[in-house]
Amino acid sequence: MAEQPLTEQDVLAQRKERIDWREAIEGYLFITPAVLIIAVFGLFPIAYAFYMSLHRWRVRKGPLVGLDNYEKAIGDWQGALIFVVGFILLYVAYRLWQSAFTEERTWMLLSKAGSALVVIAAWYAISFGWGRMLLEGDDRFLNALPITLYYSLGTVPVEIALGMILAYLLFQKIRGQEFFRMLYFLPYITPVVASAVVFRTIFSPRETSLANRFLQFIGLEPQKWLFESRPFLEVVFGLKLEGFWAGPSMALVSIILFGIWTYVGYNAVIFLAGLGAIPKDLYEVAEIDGAGQWQLFRHITLPLLSPVTFYLALVAFIGTFKAFNHIFVMRTPSALGTVDVASIVIFDTFYKANQYGYATAQAILLFLIILGLTMVQNRVLGERVFYG
Amino acid sequence: MIRKRMLLLTLVALFALLLAACGGGETSEPAEQPAEQTTTEQTTEETKQEEPKQEETKQEEGTMEEGAKEEGAMGEEDPWANVDPSGQTITFWHQHSRSREEALNEIVQEFNDTNEWGITVVAEYQGSYGDIFQKMLGVLNTPDVPNIVVAYQNQAATYQLADGLIDMNPLVDSPKWGLTEDEKADFFEAFFNQDVFPTFGGARLGFPPNRSMEVMYYNIEWLKELGYDAPPTTPEEFKEMACKAAQQPFSKATAEGSRGYELSIDASRFASWTFAFGGDVYDYENNRYTYDSEAAIQAMEFLQSLFEEGCATIVTERYGDQTNFGAGTTLFTVGSSSGLPFYKSAVEEGANFEWSVAPLPHTTSDPVMNIYGASVSIPKSTPEKELAAWLFIKYYTSPEVQAKWAKASNYFPVRKSAAEALQDYFEQNPAYKTAFELLPYGKFEPPTPGYDFVRDMIEEKMAAIAEGAPVAETLAAANEEANQILQEQLEQLGE
Repeated sequence: MAEQPLTEQDVLAQRKERIDWREAIEGYLFITPAVLIIAVFGLFPIAYAFYMSLHRWRVRKGPLVGLDNYEKAIGDWQGALIFVVGFILLYVAYRLWQSAFTEERTWMLLSKAGSALVVIAAWYAISFGWGRMLLEGDDRFLNALPITLYYSLGTVPVEIALGMILAYLLFQKIRGQEFFRMLYFLPYITPVVASAVVFRTIFSPRETSLANRFLQFIGLEPQKWLFESRPFLEVVFGLKLEGFWAGPSMALVSIILFGIWTYVGYNAVIFLAGLGAIPKDLYEVAEIDGAGQWQLFRHITLPLLSPVTFYLALVAFIGTFKAFNHIFVMRTPSALGTVDVASIVIFDTFYKANQYGYATAQAILLFLIILGLTMVQNRVLGERVFYG
Repeated sequence: MIRKRMLLLTLVALFALLLAACGGGETSEPAEQPAEQTTTEQTTEETKQEEPKQEETKQEEGTMEEGAKEEGAMGEEDPWANVDPSGQTITFWHQHSRSREEALNEIVQEFNDTNEWGITVVAEYQGSYGDIFQKMLGVLNTPDVPNIVVAYQNQAATYQLADGLIDMNPLVDSPKWGLTEDEKADFFEAFFNQDVFPTFGGARLGFPPNRSMEVMYYNIEWLKELGYDAPPTTPEEFKEMACKAAQQPFSKATAEGSRGYELSIDASRFASWTFAFGGDVYDYENNRYTYDSEAAIQAMEFLQSLFEEGCATIVTERYGDQTNFGAGTTLFTVGSSSGLPFYKSAVEEGANFEWSVAPLPHTTSDPVMNIYGASVSIPKSTPEKELAAWLFIKYYTSPEVQAKWAKASNYFPVRKSAAEALQDYFEQNPAYKTAFELLPYGKFEPPTPGYDFVRDMIEEKMAAIAEGAPVAETLAAANEEANQILQEQLEQLGE
């Protein structure tokens, strides 16, 4: 049977297909180097860490132990499940609360009441699950998680707020703007170990240390700073709270101050770039309409800076959960482990106890926590970002 | 629509919570425990089952690696007798820098020029102890491993968890290559025994080329001002003098403040004070820590009382005790004898007074001194290289070389007879001589794997005690934790 001759349309289709293929191959070739680098230096270590975490792996590889290393860290799977459900409920409560404002009056009240109930249930689940985990799990690792959270919550909001204020001030027409911009950026580019050593001296418990001299100058008692394991609230306000509500130790607060000092300047510079991108005519129009400085800031600057704020918050939050160098330098035995964030505990398990399998299990758990929190942050804060 | 979805999601989450909570009540806990035990038993069984396999593997490896040794050992007592180290080139990883490195290189060069087997040692600076440890973990049991490596006892123990070092006992005892009984007796006993590991069946995993010792530094002139003409020998005397000094500053002090004793929070200080109170931090017969022993409790209660009465403070900055001692604001400190030159310069640059060292005040009839220092270990390679490594170590620890090394490094020699060649050095450094005379009273901290981890934990407990934590309870908890860490480390031996 003779073959049918190809029509012009067929030829065109074949040519298009060839071009599509060629373009696709070219595209893949372009991204291959990046994919290879990410796979080798990013994905492979994560996969290998997971593989290690499934083994009893000390100085050398031992037998496969499945999820034993994870169980050793979190103690009790049921407790962990209840704990996670508690956080899911918190998210649900948040959603309910949000939906309340889009509903009619009756549903609004019901949604708000429901939200409050879910918050109570969530809190119960979190504390109950956490209690069960603490009973069976690794105290050092589990206690490091709230310490990491304190560090993060103590650092990120303050450094972002201060960064924004500084940027706003620097954005005004003042002399030496460039100089101040460089000055504020300096802490960020100073080697962190060097500056942490200096801060260790500043926050020494000696009466003659810089921090204590300052306190004495303003008429306050000298403090033990990095050597103080008692909660900040107890030391400063005499408030003796229990558990999570006791808050960070004085030693951790000293380290938080270092964290803030390091990143305020960086945030200010990024905010300055964001401020430069806001159209000036918006301010002019608002001023013509009689808006004051606060209103300009509240209704123009703040919303239009929200993409920058979101980016900084996201990066800072991840960064604080991974923070290590300065905390390692500034920690002292007298802090009694109250500054040992998750990264420090993982480091000790890895380098001092040489329990590689267990350390990688802890690292994977921290990775999952960061991933989960980043997703929630992305979802919750991402919705509030105003792109103009 | 959104409302329905939200309500549905809430109900699902609440239901899940209810299910989990019901399953996790008090009634379920007894049921969980046997399950957990079963898991542990299973793991242990798995390990037990694997043991023979791994032993077989070890035997196979041993057959290949130690073939030469075994050939020579057929029917002979000395397994090393027929091994020939001639012409071997070996590497030596160490942490010595500056003048110490120069002195070590001279020793190595002399060995390379004079040894009869044509062995060449290549000494390589590889960073700090910690750096070397991390590098070693990466190259253990590979061809890249050095032939001699500086290692603290706990680091050597960690290497041995991977079966990475040779047992040096057969080499030390070898009639052909080893030490004579007289030579062995010439080593300070505690130094010689420190690298024999009870946790590894008495294997010798290192050999000491130098040592330091914890001593008490004291200000002679200040003591005289306080009305004493000799350092304290008992804890009671120590306390009396320290408390008096806290009240009566030194007349030549160049800075503010007056402290009796400055304690640096360190696990070696814990051990030193426990030794001084007649105890130990480790039970070598049963392979377990004894941080809660009667002596340890008494020692810590003693230190706590110093803090409570304002006679002692904690060192708050790195080497802050040296600085304050030099400035004449601290009467007593306890630290390593390797700090002698640094104390000397601190005093010369500070209040410039007469000072010396003495044993820690003790409740025992004789002083008990905490000695420590890194040894050199021989990682597994070929029998020829292992023997060549030992021959260099033997040279390095010979009396003449030891005297030279002690003068250059300010460490203590490990041989008693090295003292003869050190007379001029003793005259120039009377504090060094005083400390040297205390060497026969040496005792050491446990050579256990994971000791770094235990040290961190003990330091936290020490700090808590200084802050007023109940001593017996704190030490009981510390001891339990330390033994748990040790147990976890030793589990690797069966893998």
